[in-house]
Amino acid sequence: MNRVTLRKTVISCVLLAATLLLAIVLMSLVGSEPLPVRASLCALASFGNTSCGLTPDQFDILFQIRVPRVLLAAAVGGSLATAGAGYQALLRNPLAEPYLLGISNGAAVGTMIALVFFGANEWTRPLLAFTGALLATLAVYRLARGRAGATPERLILAGVIVTTFLSSVIVFVTTLMDATRIRSFTFWLLGDLSGTSRAMLPVTIGIAIAGASILTLNARSLNLLMLGERDAFDLGVEVGRVRVVVFLVASLLVGSSVAASGSVGYVGLVVPHLARLSLGSDNRISIPAAALGGAVFVIVADTLARTVIAPRELPVGAITALIGAPLFIYLLKRT
Amino acid sequence: MLSRTSLKLLLACTLLLTITFACGSNPQSKPDDPVKRELIDDAGRRVSVPAHVDRVISLAPNLTEIVFAVGGGAQLVGRTSYCDFPAEAKSVAEVGDTLHPSLERVIALKPQVVLISTASQLEVFTQQLQNQNIAVFVTDPHDLNGVFRSIEQVGEILGRKEHAATLVQTLRQRADAVEQAVKQKQPVRVFYQLSAEPLYTAGHDSFVTDLMRRAGAMSVTADLPGAWPKYSSESALAARPDAIILPTGGSMGSGNSTVTEALRKSPAVLQGRVYKINDDHLVRPGPRAIDGLEEMARALHPEAFK
Repeated sequence: MNRVTLRKTVISCVLLAATLLLAIVLMSLVGSEPLPVRASLCALASFGNTSCGLTPDQFDILFQIRVPRVLLAAAVGGSLATAGAGYQALLRNPLAEPYLLGISNGAAVGTMIALVFFGANEWTRPLLAFTGALLATLAVYRLARGRAGATPERLILAGVIVTTFLSSVIVFVTTLMDATRIRSFTFWLLGDLSGTSRAMLPVTIGIAIAGASILTLNARSLNLLMLGERDAFDLGVEVGRVRVVVFLVASLLVGSSVAASGSVGYVGLVVPHLARLSLGSDNRISIPAAALGGAVFVIVADTLARTVIAPRELPVGAITALIGAPLFIYLLKRT
Repeated sequence: MLSRTSLKLLLACTLLLTITFACGSNPQSKPDDPVKRELIDDAGRRVSVPAHVDRVISLAPNLTEIVFAVGGGAQLVGRTSYCDFPAEAKSVAEVGDTLHPSLERVIALKPQVVLISTASQLEVFTQQLQNQNIAVFVTDPHDLNGVFRSIEQVGEILGRKEHAATLVQTLRQRADAVEQAVKQKQPVRVFYQLSAEPLYTAGHDSFVTDLMRRAGAMSVTADLPGAWPKYSSESALAARPDAIILPTGGSMGSGNSTVTEALRKSPAVLQGRVYKINDDHLVRPGPRAIDGLEEMARALHPEAFK
């Protein structure tokens, strides 16, 4: 990495990381129940000091409910945006997005199977979601590769086919479910961060950080791959290995976030686009920037989801789509 | 993605059905009954019902229970797969579930009236049934009096007005007895947990909110807009309910039998005041709602029923 790129990467990542930290703190102060700002800040800054003047209930609201949810939002947002950036670089297609390619749906089917057959064991959820995401990724990839190679149009078409096919699988399974579960299930399908158990939170965060790091380490190869697979191969990139790594890591990221929160759409599309628009298309910058930006984006979206009609709640997926779709149209018009 | 796909599917189906019925609906409509009665349903629609009804379909478990309770079981020719009470109901033909009834099967059963429990879900469906000269009657009770009204309406439709009146009188006496028993008691602050993950509760428009009030409880979510809103975990924690009601054990099976994580340290849990009540008595606005009322009152104020 030359010095200019390195400096740009470091500066933008430090700035974005600071924004993320700020978002975590500020958004933890907002919710359906008002908390005293000064005491909450004191408790947050001291990582849970009980002598900051919060009542036990306020303390529990802050540390048992709000902070875990904000952190989960960060992990989900970071995962989805990183996965999106990875798919876009590998498939050389700006429209490649876990949600639009049907990969989120693959993970959703996996999670549903886990819920229906292994309801009590929550570890099966991310595992089967990962399997579902990986199978959907492979299906899209195989469908998209015609004799002339994978053209962007073919890829999107393949994505539409896989998405609609898996959507009908989901509809089929929900029809078999009993009525009492359908409501909570449709809520989950739209993306919902309220229901995840604390046990899974560290796993989701760990996968987000590991995934973003692995893809960033492969960013140079992805840069070369964007020139075309043959050129990349001639330049010494192990194309096959990079492809396997990106597919595995991106599927893992999508799987873990869908298992935790359902299908939160548009994050993998909007955030990497914004990252590339503002920082350029060098993956060494845009992938870590997308990871951090995605975290901030979903934190803000989820804060809206849990406050606009408080104490009732909206699914966060509705908010990301509401922000994401118009932003996407704007981006399309601009580029 | 899902919603878009299902929307397309729905559109395609609607189109197909419209074409089918546009071509072949008229032979079905017989000359109008000379004597038709006009009733107003809970959606505020004027519904024209034949003077004598002997074929009716119920599209909700609570309505099936009401039909049998007013002694109209023999007039019921169709029900949903969720209609499992009373036991005799199970021998009546199924027409699908509450959300996806089969229009073909409904029409094939030649009902004169179809009973629906809320208007919202089945607007297209309603239109098509009306085109077939089948009356659609919508019930939408928001409190116990609304449940009594549903019973009277169904009784009226089925020509069993006296049965319905007697039933309502008995049920009202039981409800009054409960209210008398708990009248002097301090209302208990209750949280109603419809489901834990995600957290759903009963809001202002739910009839169970009225049941709780009558059972000597004050629902902490009584003023929340809507019937079954999704609720914020932190607000549930901050509400510090003194008792929690878990509808479970009926159709729900073992589902919803644990308290949501945010309420694990609530006064209700610490004092052991978590009450499991048969969900079929609390989510179905029918005659057994009174059982639910009695069960809640006894759980919350055991000393009042000694």
